Amino acid sequence: MHNVVIVGGGPAGLSAALSAAAAGAPVLLLDSNPRLGGQYWRQPDESFGDQGSQHFDLETGLLLINAVKARKEIEVWSGAQIWSATHKDGVNTLRVLVNGKEKIINTGNLILCTGAYDRTLPFPGWDIPGVMTPGGVQSLIKGHGVLAGKKVVVAGSGPFLLPVAAGVVKAGGSVVELLEANKSRRWITSLFVVLENLSKIKEGFYYIKTISEAKVRARFGYAVVAAHAGVNGELDSVDVAKINRNFKIKKVRNVKCDVAAIGWGFTPDTTLAGTLGCKQIVAKDGAVVVSADSNQQSSVAGVFVAGEITGIGGSELSMAEGVIAGLSAAKFVGCKVEVLKAHRARRAKKQRFATALINSYPIKDGWKSWVHQETIICRCEEVKLKDLHYAIDELGATDSRTAKLLTRCGMGMCQGRICGRSVVDLVADQLNVSPTDTDRISAVNRPIITPISLGQLAAGE
Amino acid sequence: MRSPDAIVIGAGVVGACSALALTNAGLKVLVIDRGPVASGTTGAGEGNILVSDKEPSPELTLALRSRDAWFEVNADIDGGFELEDKGGVVVSRSEKGIADLKKLAALQRAAGIDAQEVNGAELQKLEPFISKNVEFGVLYPQDAQCQPMLAAAQIMRAVRKRGGAFVQGENVISIDSINGAVIGLTTDKSKYSSPIVINATGTWAGEIAKLAGSDLPIMPRRGFILVTAPAGKIINHKVYDADYVANVASGDADLQSSAVVEGTASGTILIGASRERVGFKNDLDVSILRQLARQAISLFPVLENIQLLRAYRGFRPYAPDHLPVIGEDANVKGLWHAAGHEGAGIGLAPATAELITAQITGRKTFMDPTPFSPARFVGANHVAS
Repeated sequence: MHNVVIVGGGPAGLSAALSAAAAGAPVLLLDSNPRLGGQYWRQPDESFGDQGSQHFDLETGLLLINAVKARKEIEVWSGAQIWSATHKDGVNTLRVLVNGKEKIINTGNLILCTGAYDRTLPFPGWDIPGVMTPGGVQSLIKGHGVLAGKKVVVAGSGPFLLPVAAGVVKAGGSVVELLEANKSRRWITSLFVVLENLSKIKEGFYYIKTISEAKVRARFGYAVVAAHAGVNGELDSVDVAKINRNFKIKKVRNVKCDVAAIGWGFTPDTTLAGTLGCKQIVAKDGAVVVSADSNQQSSVAGVFVAGEITGIGGSELSMAEGVIAGLSAAKFVGCKVEVLKAHRARRAKKQRFATALINSYPIKDGWKSWVHQETIICRCEEVKLKDLHYAIDELGATDSRTAKLLTRCGMGMCQGRICGRSVVDLVADQLNVSPTDTDRISAVNRPIITPISLGQLAAGE
Repeated sequence: MRSPDAIVIGAGVVGACSALALTNAGLKVLVIDRGPVASGTTGAGEGNILVSDKEPSPELTLALRSRDAWFEVNADIDGGFELEDKGGVVVSRSEKGIADLKKLAALQRAAGIDAQEVNGAELQKLEPFISKNVEFGVLYPQDAQCQPMLAAAQIMRAVRKRGGAFVQGENVISIDSINGAVIGLTTDKSKYSSPIVINATGTWAGEIAKLAGSDLPIMPRRGFILVTAPAGKIINHKVYDADYVANVASGDADLQSSAVVEGTASGTILIGASRERVGFKNDLDVSILRQLARQAISLFPVLENIQLLRAYRGFRPYAPDHLPVIGEDANVKGLWHAAGHEGAGIGLAPATAELITAQITGRKTFMDPTPFSPARFVGANHVAS
């Protein structure tokens, strides 16, 4: 029995499952969500159809999801949380919680499609209820459809702000500001890339149409740099700043709102891959990604990686990589199948678009000037910037790991998923050095991948 | 500082305490570490300051003094490392265990330790969430706790403020001597001269001794610690099973664990104390985590629904006779060792520093340091197993 085990049921994981199964390899697909689709095609709790208009490309998602469900060779475990994983002598051991019960999977053939989560930047007031990530707002809309009547500010940087703003409008909310930190002329620098990726451009126009029908105008070169709570402790207003190229504040005004959806692109979720010993590298934008060869194989033989964990590139690149990873894994377990030139060409095309996109939405260093001494950096442990500075200036911390251990910054419930990347930047900034790759990589790796209750841990074999 | 009066290698808690004691004695001190402060065993410790786990012995004398010395250090440098006078509770559930524990407590009392027998109802008052089937325990009010990384960092801060120097990121590559006496050391980046070098490198102390042409049988013993999500104040003391005491004294290479369960200032609960001799093996052994979780739940059933957030491992330095090594090297004059404290390094650090400092400066020591002397290994067959 040569099962290919796939982790993640988003665009990459679904594509990988289908291509591996089509090549003749039985597949076990583990997904942490209750329903397939990932963050990109997140399905609502009950019915799917009435939310269809939320999403430009839901047809593709439904197609893949239904195809996966239809294939007998693919077994799906939904709601499966991997809390620990180890690699030894070619065997990967995954310890998975499914409906509160632990199951152990040993496999030599694994495809990791663990995706990404919203990247956040700390700023004064970002811990006030009502300040959310675009992903958080989107899953509220997609999962529950609750935003009607609310005044929403959508801000940050990256193309993902558009579908979120469109989603808010469709859900009956009012987008009072749509703010992109980068200047509009940065957007898509290469005509060639635009022409070969027309579908993405169509997607963009679809959202822009929705937004402009609601008379929402996007502003470029603006950011939310502070949030203020009302008497009830919830979000009352945000400070909107005109910023320069380097994100330094030029002019500020106050805007009333109920919800602020603020996102700065995505951070790949490479913790599982790191635990298994897959080589991680630091991408140009400072994100930790998993290194992959032309067959999507990681540095660990038999462990393949696809989608956002190899570098943020969007759903279409994820699908292209997923197909190749599925074929490669099938071949690895002995199926007679080859990755075709056309597969690689498609991936290359999507990669060019992703690169152009990333270059269009850089996150500039100036954000650190929005943070004050009293600003909370780690929301779980309520560690302020001044605490980090004390650890560095007084206690002699010379790297982010030591600063973290001396302050508990990033050691709370989320284990640094939210603040870890920013802490590395802020510590390096105070030390007047550039963050090292070791700093960045050690900030995402940890032996316990998701929390597990002591009772569940004790009950395991 | 190229020519300090003394150089301390290692900025863990033992090195930091030694540097502070020497500085307070008037010496110009330089501390060198290959990494940041507390980046070795100190950074992987629970912060145990225990008298309860020791039988009457020279180590207990050291522990008793050290426990008080911690509070003096706290006053001296103005705190900042969560030192807490919380007390320990040792329990047993077997007939034989209870009898042994009573015997041990009586011996400890005779040696000057406050050890109070407590029955079921009193235990429930001390620890409202302890399992109902625990009916006997001994309360040790002198057991204490600190945050070890903060302790080392705060002490190093005081050392720097008092004129000491701290060089990070330099690896010692040779201990330089003439005619069997230390004249300084060389790192991968620089050269320093000093007639006194203190080896406070814990698990790695044997390597430093080798650089000086000497020999020290210090070996690593791996331990895991579990850290839960913040759970509020549900555990008041350091609570552990009497088996733990037996394990500490054991030379068996197999895994032994007896969970020490305690709350911390940040609300998390620490579950620790697995011990195994596997060299510097770095992989995650899930079966050890499960065993620790089972033992902790058996003491505190309420922990069943608390989330495990982190697990970390450290390598405790131990000598074949399970006693720390404190004193001048038997072969090289001016080379002093302060290492091999196994799981008790945090607790024993300040008294270790006092012993070293008194001997270096020619003052009277508070106890006879002979049992800890490195000379005890000369001629002994101590090949690491």
